[in-house]
Amino acid sequence: MKKTWQSPVIQKMNGGLMNKFGTRTEYEPVKHIDGVSVQSLIKEYGSPLFVLSERTLRRNYRDAYRAFSTRYPSVQFAWSYKTNYLNAVCRVFHQEGSWAEVVSGFEYQKALGNGVPGPQIIFNGPEKTNEELELAVRNGSLIHIDHFDELFQLLAITDRIPEKPRVAIRVNMDTGVYPVWDRFGFNYENGQAWDALKRIVTSGKMTLTGLHCHIGTFMLSTNAYRQAVKKLADLAWRCKTELNTPLQYLDLGGGFPSTNTLRGSFLPGTDAVPSVDEFAEAITAQLTELGYGTQDTPKLILESGRVLVDDAGYLLSTVVATKRLSDGRRATILDAGVNLLFTSFWYDHTISPAQDFTHHTEDMALFGPLCMNIDVLRQSSNLPLLNRGDQVVIHKTGAYNMTQWMQFIHMRPNVVMIDEEGNTHLIREAETLEYLQQPEKIPAHLQQPEKK
Amino acid sequence: MRMKYLLKNEQVHFITHTVLNSYAMLFFSNRSGFALLVMLVSFFNPYTGLAGLMATLVAAVTAYFMGFSREQVKSGLYTYSALLLGLGMGTFYEFSGGFWLLLTLASILALLLSAALIARLGKSNLPALSLAFILSLWVVILSAREFGAIGLTARNIYWLNEMYATGGNELIRLVQWTEEWPMPAAVSGFFRSVSAILFQSNIAAGMLLSIALFLFSRMALSLMIGGYAVAILFIRLMDGYAGSVNYYNLGTNFMLVSVALGGFYIIPSVRSYLWSLITVPISYILVIALWKITYTWGLPVFSLPFCITVIVFIYVLQLRQAGGKMVLTPVQYYSPEENLYRYLNNRDRVYSQYYFRLALPFMGEWTVSQGYDGKITHKGDWSKALDFVITDTEGKTWGGTGTRPEDFYCYTKPVLSPADAVVEEIQNWVDDNPVGGNNTAQNWGNTIVLKHAEGLYTKLSHLKKGSIKVNKGDYVKKGSLLAYCGNSGRSPEPHLHFQVQATPYIDSRTLPYPLAFFLTRDQSGAVSFNSFRVPSENERVSNLQTDPLLLQAFDFKPGFRMKVKSDRLEEEWEVMVSVYNETYFWCREKNSYAYFVNDGQVFFFTQYFGNTKSLLYTFYLSAYKLVLSSTPGIQITDHYSRDIKGNIFFRWVQDLVAPFYLLSRLQFRSICIPGGEEEAPGSLLFRTSAIRCLSGKEKNIQSAQILVQGGKIRLFRVQTAHQQTEIVCEY
Repeated sequence: MKKTWQSPVIQKMNGGLMNKFGTRTEYEPVKHIDGVSVQSLIKEYGSPLFVLSERTLRRNYRDAYRAFSTRYPSVQFAWSYKTNYLNAVCRVFHQEGSWAEVVSGFEYQKALGNGVPGPQIIFNGPEKTNEELELAVRNGSLIHIDHFDELFQLLAITDRIPEKPRVAIRVNMDTGVYPVWDRFGFNYENGQAWDALKRIVTSGKMTLTGLHCHIGTFMLSTNAYRQAVKKLADLAWRCKTELNTPLQYLDLGGGFPSTNTLRGSFLPGTDAVPSVDEFAEAITAQLTELGYGTQDTPKLILESGRVLVDDAGYLLSTVVATKRLSDGRRATILDAGVNLLFTSFWYDHTISPAQDFTHHTEDMALFGPLCMNIDVLRQSSNLPLLNRGDQVVIHKTGAYNMTQWMQFIHMRPNVVMIDEEGNTHLIREAETLEYLQQPEKIPAHLQQPEKK
Repeated sequence: MRMKYLLKNEQVHFITHTVLNSYAMLFFSNRSGFALLVMLVSFFNPYTGLAGLMATLVAAVTAYFMGFSREQVKSGLYTYSALLLGLGMGTFYEFSGGFWLLLTLASILALLLSAALIARLGKSNLPALSLAFILSLWVVILSAREFGAIGLTARNIYWLNEMYATGGNELIRLVQWTEEWPMPAAVSGFFRSVSAILFQSNIAAGMLLSIALFLFSRMALSLMIGGYAVAILFIRLMDGYAGSVNYYNLGTNFMLVSVALGGFYIIPSVRSYLWSLITVPISYILVIALWKITYTWGLPVFSLPFCITVIVFIYVLQLRQAGGKMVLTPVQYYSPEENLYRYLNNRDRVYSQYYFRLALPFMGEWTVSQGYDGKITHKGDWSKALDFVITDTEGKTWGGTGTRPEDFYCYTKPVLSPADAVVEEIQNWVDDNPVGGNNTAQNWGNTIVLKHAEGLYTKLSHLKKGSIKVNKGDYVKKGSLLAYCGNSGRSPEPHLHFQVQATPYIDSRTLPYPLAFFLTRDQSGAVSFNSFRVPSENERVSNLQTDPLLLQAFDFKPGFRMKVKSDRLEEEWEVMVSVYNETYFWCREKNSYAYFVNDGQVFFFTQYFGNTKSLLYTFYLSAYKLVLSSTPGIQITDHYSRDIKGNIFFRWVQDLVAPFYLLSRLQFRSICIPGGEEEAPGSLLFRTSAIRCLSGKEKNIQSAQILVQGGKIRLFRVQTAHQQTEIVCEY
């Protein structure tokens, strides 16, 4: 390989013994994803490009399902739509047996469109319109009530339509972690949750089907789930004994972390976060301890999103330019920025070059293509020296990016999925100006370029 | 009218049935229509017929007042000997006052002998057959010579006169016409032999009886023809004395032996049919031998050879050590067809229900790493055992490096009780091996032995040290947590060893025993339902998950009532329990019964008796077997006991060859799916179908849907080629 010219730079000496081979790097280029070359993907679909691995999606689901189902007799996953609601992704999970967990009317419609039967859709979230609730009630979906106003809203609806809503309440509680997530649902400790349950049952107009909690996100403690199980189980027991309403399920929500590294965390994510198995062990052991699973077996529902999809997503990007900053730091500008990688606000994403490189590495800032100061992918990352036109793979980008991405300055790129046989499928086309302007309306007096 | 004053309605009903069944019983039947035909034919010789009827009536009335078991008497079992006696006496003696007196006494004697013989022989599971008839008629013959009031009759010589007296010209013409019909001697001989069972010798009677027999049972008629042919052939071969082969012997001895042993007391099969090649000639030899003895007293042998052959044969079959391939009819349905089809049905569907229900001793999906007679360690006395591990999509049993027990998916997974049990034995102190280790000193490692019943134990081995949660003597429920999977004993990598055994020790030898219900998943991800089978090596298995709403919907407690309505019919069904604890639906309007079993995992019907036009029958066919689980993709198949819906001619052909080969089987399939668009949300729908499998082709002949909503059966819809019905259930 012809060596590429690098402009000379004075670099601070780092510790470590000298040897005749110079400083070595442990980096490996990532040239292929599931056997498909990165180069060919960018050639065919352009750069930047989101790539999803169907094989990883399925494997993640099966690993998680196995972790729970070999420890508790009745387990159901419900795919968290907000994590990634590209239809192709949702359908992979539905094929694997997942229900749908949605938090808005349009997500609800998406779930229906993906062929999920009404009773297998869980409708969460603090804001649901009358129309959305009525549809959900008619379809027999599981409505998780977030606050008293929604409870009253639903009661009013029952006066208008004959179907009996199937409901649960979302419960928030102190599980020993900071911050306490108390903005969603009814609080356990102050008795609000119990009040809501009594109200639902005594109204006689709704079927109380289960209990829901979602104690946080990117949870790094399994013990918090033990606490949550204890408190939910206490409510379930009181529902059964005091309200004579045995519950069909306990929904422990999600919150399991992926192996991404949180910004500012000392250890890399692969070392710091507990595995799904550890969460499964904590939750099911606590359930078993409380006597569930033998005679009384409410379904255990899990709404995991991130842990199932994050490492199945890759963002491919191309180097636009490199430069030196005023303080001598190296900066690399990529064609993908925070407009696509929303999660870079809180993760230090791992970024790998997609082609062979020199041994030498250097700390560098990675910027996106936006003409905005916020567009920083990594403040500092130790990477080999990259040149214009080089390609990089940004790892573990499957969760939240393809839902929280912005159409800001740049349009959203193609998204492809590599199936289990190694075939690539375009699952979302790059946006066009036409698509972008399609909903726009120009008032009549602005139709002419000159003011009359 | 006077009868009405003399006897209560219930008594008239009882006696009518007793008499009719006595006639049917002569041909091993209990069908009233058939009985009426036999009775009619018996009146071809009016005196004989009248004497037969009178004798039966006397016996029936006596039996009623003597207080024998009503059900037994009503079946005709106690009184058919009297009927035969009456027919015999009517044939031999002139009618006179003395005759009627003697007939009455002899009938009562025949009844008493019947009761006595049935009781004595019944203790050895043997039938009394016509022994009572033979004995009582012998008594009459030997004693009648001493009574001046009784004289032999010459009527039989002028039988045409009597025909005229009963049926007029038409009957005579019919009889004469059949008599003059050009048919081979062998054929006319057959008909005469059939009529000889009623003490006649008359082609028309034989023909009519044969037609009636054909309608009642194809197998019985074919066996009679077989018996007849074998007898004729044997006589030809032996160049025997033709005089002993009268029609009476052909009919009552040889042909009835063939029916009794070919298809009545034994389940019809190739073997039972072939045995008549031996039993018919044996009874022929007996006829001659016994006649040599009895003729010295001037007595005919009647059906004694038949009785001896049948009784000896049945007795000997019971002496076999193993069950053997010839099966004695377990429950008598008074028709070879019914016996065969119901036996097959029970053998394939019901007998497996007597197994103790064992479930898989874990949660989720595991893989059988070593099955029965495995190559690694399941050998010799310990060959019928199962080893389980957990595998991932790639078939690996571990994640990470696979160098520590913790890397293995099954390590520290919960191990559950496969059924309700008492903890019999525990070993909880053996260290877990490192991966690749092998402790041959305590080869079973940490182990639990559970006692489920006397002589039925299960054993779970290689558990994690110190993980056992139960104590010796504890009572554990099915599915309770016992311990965690480990790597102790002869276990180089974590796995769970499971075996069934007949003795309570840790070292006990294994006992092959099926698991009740489990699911398997193949490489393509398709799930199938298995019942009463041992999982085989490399199968991915998991327990059946029942659906609480389905359990609730099919939980029919005794006393439960349900109203069902179609656009034409309305019925009420009630759930009842028999003395044997069998549960059944009783349809009030149609007096029909559908027996069912609900074992908490599967709901299925076992038998149906009664009207096939009822809604209950439709339900029986539609809900023949349902797995009470809503796990997607579970399809079950089963077979109806016989092809109930086919064309009648086809069914007749099937009956004729059924002992050898089942031409078509009527398969039942069912699958549970969430209610579709048109159904109420949260509902579950069973889609079932009846499919005829004939020479490799399948034809759907009935589709049904059963809609379960909110823990209740709301309605079922049935669609056949001709019509579609929707039946609404209310309760």
